[in-house]
Order: sequence, then C-alpha cells, then structure tokens
Amino acid sequence: MDIEIANRLGLANIKSDYIHAAGRKLEDIHEHLLELEAKGEVKVIHVKDENKPIEADTLLGWKKKIPTNKLWHHKSCGQCGNIPGYPVSLLWFMNQMGLEYVDERNQTSCTAWNYHGSGTSNPVGLAAVAVRNWHRAYELGLFPLFHCATTFGDYKEMRNMLVEYKELRDEVRRIMHKIGRELVIPEYIVHYSEWVHVMRFEIAKLKKYDLSNVIATVHPACHTYKMIPEDCIYDKDIYAGKRTAVSTGVALALGAQVADYSTWYDCCGFGFRHILTEREASRSFVMDRKIRPMVREAHSDVCLTQDTGCTTTLDKNQWIGKAMGYTEQVPVMADVMFAALACGADVYKIVQLQWHTTDWRPLCEKIGIDWKKSEEEYNAYLEELKSGGKTVNLYEYPKN
Amino acid sequence: MEYNEKGVSIVPSEFKKEIFEEARKDFRYEEYVRGCLNCGVCTGGCPPHRFFDFSPRIVLQNMKSKDPELIWTMMDEYIWACFQCFTCAMICPFLNSPGGIIAILREIAVRRGFESARKVLKPYSRVLLKLTAYGNQLSPDMIQPDFFPDWGPTIGYASTDLAVKRKAIPMPTLQVTNLAWDVAPETMKELYEIFDESGVFKIIESVDPSLYEIIQDIVDDVRSS
Repeated sequence: MDIEIANRLGLANIKSDYIHAAGRKLEDIHEHLLELEAKGEVKVIHVKDENKPIEADTLLGWKKKIPTNKLWHHKSCGQCGNIPGYPVSLLWFMNQMGLEYVDERNQTSCTAWNYHGSGTSNPVGLAAVAVRNWHRAYELGLFPLFHCATTFGDYKEMRNMLVEYKELRDEVRRIMHKIGRELVIPEYIVHYSEWVHVMRFEIAKLKKYDLSNVIATVHPACHTYKMIPEDCIYDKDIYAGKRTAVSTGVALALGAQVADYSTWYDCCGFGFRHILTEREASRSFVMDRKIRPMVREAHSDVCLTQDTGCTTTLDKNQWIGKAMGYTEQVPVMADVMFAALACGADVYKIVQLQWHTTDWRPLCEKIGIDWKKSEEEYNAYLEELKSGGKTVNLYEYPKN
Repeated sequence: MEYNEKGVSIVPSEFKKEIFEEARKDFRYEEYVRGCLNCGVCTGGCPPHRFFDFSPRIVLQNMKSKDPELIWTMMDEYIWACFQCFTCAMICPFLNSPGGIIAILREIAVRRGFESARKVLKPYSRVLLKLTAYGNQLSPDMIQPDFFPDWGPTIGYASTDLAVKRKAIPMPTLQVTNLAWDVAPETMKELYEIFDESGVFKIIESVDPSLYEIIQDIVDDVRSS
C-alpha cells in the first residue's frame, strides 16, 4: 500500500511542455465578443489595470486574465444557505490582502441549479438573469466574481450563446430595457477558484501551519471544467496540464500532498434534482464512487472541492454509508476553506466548519489547530449575541 | 406514457412528431447533435448510467434516428435520470452534447405540462417556490432533520438557535434564516419582470398550477411593497 500511495502522490506534480487537445478546434469567443463591442452591439466589462489581473492558461493554451481586485461578489445559493464558511473564507483572504470588493443585497441567484434540476426556465430567462447580475457589477465599476461552479458553467454558456446568437441578444436587450438595464457581457467569466489559483503564492505567504503530512484529494467540479471546457485554467506544471489546475494548485502551494484516486473524473452525485428528491442515487454515488476510493486508494485526510453542490453532497452523505457497513469517512471542504485553515483563520468564526456533518476535527488535530479553544470562543460569542451584543463583520454593505 | 391494456402507446403519432419538431427547431439543436460513431465513450463516463437505465449514447442515437417514436420513449422518466454534469459533452470526440439534448427535452416536458414532469417535480416544489418568489434557492431553515434524516445526527445543528448562529456569520448579507442571502425587494422585482418576459412564470403555471398561484401571491405582495 505504501508504494501505491507514493505513486499516486507524484501525479499532481508532473510537468509537461505539451498541451494535447486533439479535435478541439474551437473558436475563441473572446475575440468575437470584442468584435461585437467594436460594432456597438454590446457593452463589455473589461478587466482593467485597477483589477490587478494575473494571466493564466486555459485548456487550449488561450490566455485568461483573472482580476484580483475591485470585485463584485456574486454569491452562491447553496454556499450562503448551508456552507457559510465558503464565502466568508474568501472575503477573509481579501481582507487580509487589503483588496477592494462589494458584497450586497442587489444580486439574484443565477437560477441555473433550478434549471438543471427542473427544466423550468429557458435560454432567454437564464441569459437575462445573467446579464442583469453582470450589469449590476458594471454600474458599480467592479468586475464580477462568481462563487458557484454552476453559475460559472451557466454564465460561460450564456456568454457564448449571447455572442453567437443575435436573436438572443435582441430578446435579452429588450428585457433589460424593461428593467432599466443594458446588455453588458464581462470580458472573462471568472470563478472564485480561479482567483484562489492565481493568488495561491500570495495565499501561501500567509501560511501558519505545516501541511506536509496532510494528504488531500481533489474533487474537480463538473460545471467548472466540463461545461465550456476550453474556458478553464490548466497549468503544464500541474497534472502535466491534463486536468484542471484549480484547487490542486493552491493545495500544492501550501505544501500539502495531493494524492490521486481512480475516480477523480466522476461527478459527486449531486444531480441537481437527485440531491433533493432522489437522494438514494446521490448517496450511493458519493460512497461508492468518491469517498471510498479517496480513502481506500489515497488514504485521504481531506477532500478538497471547488463548488457548492459537490461540497454539500460529498459531506452530507457519508454518515448514511454506515447502513451499508461502509466505515470510510473524510472531511470535505472547499479549497479556499482549507487554505484559510492553513493560514490561521478561526475554525468556527471564519471557516464555519460547525455546519459540516462529516467529522473535521481529526484533520484540525493533524494540522495542529486548537479547535476546542475556537469552539469555546465561538460559544461565548453566541451568548454575547443572544444578550444583544454587536456582530463583528468582515464587511458592511451599504444599507441603500 | 399513456398506453392501452396491451402496452401500446395511445398517443397520436402526429403529436409525437410535433414534439420532435419542437426539439429540432431549438436553436441549440444543431450544436448539440452532430456526427456519432456509436463509440459509447459518453455512456462509459456517464455517472447516472451506473445507477439508472440511462445512456447518453442512446439519447444521441435516438435524436439522430429522427424517429418520433424513439424520441417519445425518452419523454417519460428517462430524461429525468440525467445528472446534468456534462461529462458526456466533455469527452465526446465529436463534441456532441447529450446533456444539452436532455435540457431541451426537459424544457419541452415542463412547458407542455406533461404528467411525467409534474410527477417528477412534485417533491421539488419547495425549492421552486423559494427561487422564483424570493430570488435564491436554498435557505438555512430548509436544512432540518425532518427533511434530511439520512444526513446524520449533526444535521440538527441548524435546528436550534438558528437566528443567532446566522447572526454570527461575519457577512451581513448572510445574517438571515429564511433566505440564503438577503435579497433586496427591488432586486426581486427585477427578477419577476425577467420571469414574466421570458415565460418562466408561464412554464411554472403549466407544470404546477397550484404552486404558481402561491408564487403569484408572494410576487403581488412584493410588487406592491
């Protein structure tokens, strides 16, 4: 078993000088978008110098500018509803780095979770919601940063459709005029995991704990790299450019070991509809195809995710595995939450692991984090709040 | 879907043809349905194929057959097995998108209010209500042991003192219990306008008329506030 694990640990660090993208002769939508802008067909939210962009390679070697400053947070339904430490960890890093951003009430869901689960929308509805939220960032002079991978996948798809189909543009423009907005499209659709990836060396400078004895397994999210696959970050120094580099990149930069497992490409079992209404499929998938391979093949200490649904599905469905005699368990958290833990963010007040169901305490103990102290302080804080104490926030949004 | 006692479909052929034409006229169809070698790599990598009678290769082959009868056979529960992960689209050598075809067929099923769609989506109505009436999909107060007993004993964490626990999250937008984040009423009104103009509300009315009425009551309240 030791030899097998040693082999698996090496894969994430394999380097290559080649990109193999046989058959994928796709056109770069970014150029067409700029052509439409030149014709006055659309307005574009450009990545400006003030956004302090960092360039990254995508699947086909195209360059993508990732803005790192002056960002508008496009939150995720599932993260905010049930994994609050996910967005909080991201904002915590931005505060640590003195970056500017806005998080506000003037944002809707992308509605794509609902669409993929129930079919109760259409391209016009999805594109109009996307443009509505893009325009809100545009009018504030900020660049939108999308927290959810389904938002990321959906907005990449809507951006492409809007560029390719004039009829869709006309219809969405008509709807935008009805709500006092314009047809704007961001120059790049950027996922928070891409921000984490390009900032990984800055994040690593904040590191407080040694992670060299921690074995992480990465679950790449389908809607990050399978929807519009050409618009996702790949790095020739990570998995030799054969898998998306996000999440693995930050774990390696922080000094953790990233181990491979045979079902890395499988989805999490979320299914959009299944996680809510056909859960036996989701939980079987979680245990048989993800958690057991992660633990049995890689002896994983932590499963790192980059999306809302994956984090929920993989975390919540381990306990029920005991009914089948499955004893394998591994804590699940997003890359940014793991990074925040490594950089000394409070387990309860910032990373908010108390909302997770699979036991994460052994991981904290392995890293050397005193979670019991954190728990005591958090409980005291709750008592303060119950007695009318003031909340301590990372950010105050404008009330109007 | 609507068979006689001998198991023969009683749905008229003309109607099945109409459904196929509706799918084929969708502006995404040509992009999703290309050449197919029947290599089966899509089905080999398909997650729900492991647990359901569902194959993206069959989906594509049925569409390519242009046989309305074959396409009709998928309009029942078949299309609802797909996880919408798009593994099939990612690995198809011809860049077909069986997952995209499923999305088109599901849209047709709900737009036309098919009984199978109504049945499949009935348990989903709480989520649909939350999203369309309030602007985001999952609220903290939905995560209760009664609904998720299979998620284990610690799922009850959100059942007690939820308001104060949410207040302790250091993002003001998240310090609410009945929404994922606090959406401004003016923002909800913009969303309603989009749903009106794009036909989303009409779709919900087709697939679940009583849910639609509840949603419209909330929409009217917010609009008049």
